[in-house]
Amino acid sequence: MHKQGMKAWVVPLAIATSAWVKWSIGLGDYSGHATPPMFGDYEAQRHWMELAIHLAPQQWYTYDLQYWGLDYPPLTAYISWLCGKVGSLIDPSWFAFEESRGIETYNSKLFMRSTVVALDMLVYVPALYAFTRIWHKSRSLRTQHASLLILLFQPALLLVDFGHFQYNSVMLGLTLLALNSFAVGRDLLGAVCFVLSLAFKQMALYYAPVIGSYLLGKCIFLGPVQGTRLFIRLAVVTLSSFTLLFAPFLPPIAPLSTFFAAISRIFPFARGLFEDKVANFWCFTNVTLVKWKQLFLGKESRLIKLSAALTVAGFLPAVFGLLWGSFKTRLRTHPQVVSREGEARAISLAAPARTPSPTLPLLLYALLTTSMSFFLFSFQVHEKTILLPLLPLTLLLSGATVGDEVYSLGILGNVVGVFSMWPLLKRDGLGVQYIATLLLWCRLVGYNPFCLRLDSFVGLLSTAVNAAMILLHPLELIVTPPNRYPDLFPVLNVLVSTPVFGFIWLWSIKRGIEVGWALGGLPGSGTDRGFKDHDDGNPTEELLNLPTAGPVKSMRREHGARAVSLGHASGLTLASTSGYRDPRRRAVDRLRGSSAGIDE
Amino acid sequence: MSTAIPCSPQHPPPPIPEEGVVNEPPRRWGSVWNMTRSEIDLLLFSTALKLLLFPSYRSTDFEVHRNWLAITHALPVSKWYYDTTSEWTLDYPPFFAYFEKVLSIPAAYVDPAIVDLQNLGYGSWTVVAYQRCTVILTELLLGVVLLRFTKGAADPARQRLISGSLFFHPGFLIVDHIHFQYNGFLFAILLWSILMARAGRNLYSGVLFAVLLNFKHIYMYLAPAYFIYLLRSYCMSKSGQILGGRFVALASSVILVFTTSLGPFIWMGQLPQLFSRLFPFTRGLNHAYWAPNVWALVTAADRVLLRLVTRFNLGITINEQGIASASRGLVGDTVFTVIPHVKPFHTFLITACIQMMYMIKLWRTPSYESFLNALALCGFTSFLFGWHVHEKAILLVLVPLSLLAADNYAYFKTWMIAGTAGIFSLLPLLFTSAEAPIKIIYSLAWGTITICPLYKQVYEFPPSWPLALLDQLEYAYVIGFMPLQVFFVVIPMIAGKNPDIQFLPLMATSVYCAIGMVWAFTRLSILYFSNAFEASPK
Repeated sequence: MHKQGMKAWVVPLAIATSAWVKWSIGLGDYSGHATPPMFGDYEAQRHWMELAIHLAPQQWYTYDLQYWGLDYPPLTAYISWLCGKVGSLIDPSWFAFEESRGIETYNSKLFMRSTVVALDMLVYVPALYAFTRIWHKSRSLRTQHASLLILLFQPALLLVDFGHFQYNSVMLGLTLLALNSFAVGRDLLGAVCFVLSLAFKQMALYYAPVIGSYLLGKCIFLGPVQGTRLFIRLAVVTLSSFTLLFAPFLPPIAPLSTFFAAISRIFPFARGLFEDKVANFWCFTNVTLVKWKQLFLGKESRLIKLSAALTVAGFLPAVFGLLWGSFKTRLRTHPQVVSREGEARAISLAAPARTPSPTLPLLLYALLTTSMSFFLFSFQVHEKTILLPLLPLTLLLSGATVGDEVYSLGILGNVVGVFSMWPLLKRDGLGVQYIATLLLWCRLVGYNPFCLRLDSFVGLLSTAVNAAMILLHPLELIVTPPNRYPDLFPVLNVLVSTPVFGFIWLWSIKRGIEVGWALGGLPGSGTDRGFKDHDDGNPTEELLNLPTAGPVKSMRREHGARAVSLGHASGLTLASTSGYRDPRRRAVDRLRGSSAGIDE
Repeated sequence: MSTAIPCSPQHPPPPIPEEGVVNEPPRRWGSVWNMTRSEIDLLLFSTALKLLLFPSYRSTDFEVHRNWLAITHALPVSKWYYDTTSEWTLDYPPFFAYFEKVLSIPAAYVDPAIVDLQNLGYGSWTVVAYQRCTVILTELLLGVVLLRFTKGAADPARQRLISGSLFFHPGFLIVDHIHFQYNGFLFAILLWSILMARAGRNLYSGVLFAVLLNFKHIYMYLAPAYFIYLLRSYCMSKSGQILGGRFVALASSVILVFTTSLGPFIWMGQLPQLFSRLFPFTRGLNHAYWAPNVWALVTAADRVLLRLVTRFNLGITINEQGIASASRGLVGDTVFTVIPHVKPFHTFLITACIQMMYMIKLWRTPSYESFLNALALCGFTSFLFGWHVHEKAILLVLVPLSLLAADNYAYFKTWMIAGTAGIFSLLPLLFTSAEAPIKIIYSLAWGTITICPLYKQVYEFPPSWPLALLDQLEYAYVIGFMPLQVFFVVIPMIAGKNPDIQFLPLMATSVYCAIGMVWAFTRLSILYFSNAFEASPK
């Protein structure tokens, strides 16, 4: 494409092709197709549209809970209301109150599928595009396009949203918009986006510890005066947007009990530790080591506490890393900086308004740590939840260099993520779509699962896991599981997947520590520590193109020249890890101006 | 997906390997098949897309082919062309029946219900997956042949584009992978035969075409060009002397092919029955939905004249039957109201006369290039003037025409107009709304990816201002398909069940496409006659 002089066409064509693929996946079956009386997720979503347009908001969380009562936060309900209204305009029978339960006509299915694609196109795709433009700004257009393709065709999300039927892309898209806002320094906007994401699906809570500590870290970074100001602003904005979203369930409009009814629907602690066979810590150890349910019989509350404790322990490193990193790089009056008064003022003026916190490069790793920790250790996890850790993992992958650790693990994580959902997809009748999307995506990232990689630990791991996955599929086709173990294959699936997820979790902590150490541990002190040239094309480069670019840019140039002397030290620390770009070269690039990136 | 490393000014940036570069090193896997990495990429990409279309809409042709699997599996050869268990009787020539027989053997293992003759309308997951898989697998032959085309081409880069465009052609996607047929496989044989002609191996070319005819007899549209070309360039020397040996070789091998195919049926005395199945002359001038040909224009003109005659009371005798036909919209046999009636013989005569002109030209200049032209024009003539032409037959024009597209700007534009009109005319084949985004997005994306690079390679500025104006008009025509599609979507929403307007979008599509087709045909004819081919029979 680039060779044919069709650069301008790449993005529209990529988006069009992804829309095509999404729609084509939608031709297939969905969760709970033709399985009365309860059907599946498809019917749940459709039923909520029906509820939303026929009942007052106060009844949404209380009406006939046995039949797919609403258990998502209000934004889902509002969007359901909108979809239901539009659908009823076309054909009222699709959402007729109680009459339409289990309706599966050709046109109603078409409408439901089109709502998913439309919402995805409105929220997720623009968020992805913005991500490649903002986070990979310093990279070549070619790399940006490649990363957009990798993200657009991520198979797990395609299969769950457009095959199985859910609206995860809206939740993920809103979170991604929040991350994009943070990267350009618009923290308040980001906070609102994240609140929206939370209010669409409570699953976004998995990201909350890290988002929260990033913002808190930003406040620490800005120092006591500006930091407090930002903190108060963030608190006000977050609280007021939550209040606004929950307004129909709060006192002036409704009694407080409706609010609590909604909350108890959204956070159900009454269910078991895990439902089906999920590739997380509990299910894995349940099969191999301890029968948790028997051990804690009658003491479920303890089990909940244990799982909560493990989850917190799991994401603590990420939270700590973010806060510590911010603390180390906080703005303070330093002799060296004071001597260069102009710069210091430029920084302190520019930073609060439009610059991201220096801990931004940590953010994706931290998100991966926390969401994976929730997936592995928390209570009531569904196999679809793997989508949450897969988002930061794929975002990291999109900027990785072929062959490095991020690249290998990113692909492995995605492939195993899809594989871990195989029992679910098989039940939905999405086998062909499973093969097709995996084939498409693996080829897109240039990955051959049949290839042996024996040169590194990650290579060995992926070779072993790939072999296991490739063996399990034909086995499942040929061998009927014995009567004693009807769940033989789902269990084997868990046994293959969980170690990979666990490894990715540990690796993300390790990478977090490395990146965090690089933030605070490099020579040079004071304000611009956090802005030094880093690795894998990190977005601290944002500074370059600030509205107040004048003084900052001049500082950057000087800084770039200094990077020549720093090159050796930072080269030693980072060259061994990944995606490293020689700072000396980069410095020369800076001198040549920002057009260098485009020429690549 | 590699990340380019920025370079310091002293060092020139290393050449970045781009996709589609000819001297790309073939990979381990590919080296077996002599494929480059990007070619494998394209193959897997297209396979993934086709797999996704498994659950899409399938026309009755799907059941037709399933029934043929059952017929060939369950019945002895002698009863193949007599069976009427299903209304979808076997009406393709014997090679296709043998082909179905071969496919039915694994089918019986996959699911015996597929080949059960009484199991009409069987639509379980196994049969869908099996039949769709056979389409994808047999289409690989198309990929192989197209790769071969690239290898020895005069301009490999352009031929690569053409080959890619053919392999991803929306026509194949719509007709084969959604509607359900085996055109990819059949056109692979046709292209193979053309490839042999390019390589100068005319005997093989002739044999392959004979084989193709025995797979599907619609390729008779192209037969005149083959006949003349082979006779002139293979059986005669440059000076016009008949080379007896070659003639006998060609004749005997073609007869051998036909004997293999028809022999058993001749021996059983079933030839008349077979032919009655292959050539049912009981159908109307137009197919249910008018294929965009001359008759569509004539029929539309007739409808307009009818309105005029009834309004101004011109006293012209009106065929009463025709009014009934007109009010029935597009369904059923077309009977003209004002214009004199057209019989099959008339269409045959017109087609033959027009084709004769091209044949004379081909006789004089029997080169490969000229042959390709004549082939496309032969298909074009039959499509435009033939009796009961189906819109799917447009592929017979588009495939040979594609091979010419990269020659120069004039051919490129002919190809572009015919291609857009042809593909657009195929869209109504899929009338279900679920497939609407699929066909439209795919066609648009395909158009962008093929037309833009080719345009850049062949563009020439028109030599005079009327031609420049014409050039702009032609692009306006192509752009005009977008409002037409909007019209196509909007009208049924407004019209509801009103029968007068209900068929308007289809009629408009048909007429608009027909205008483009006729114009492309005229362009191609002018190009052919004005082109002085080097007479170089090998």
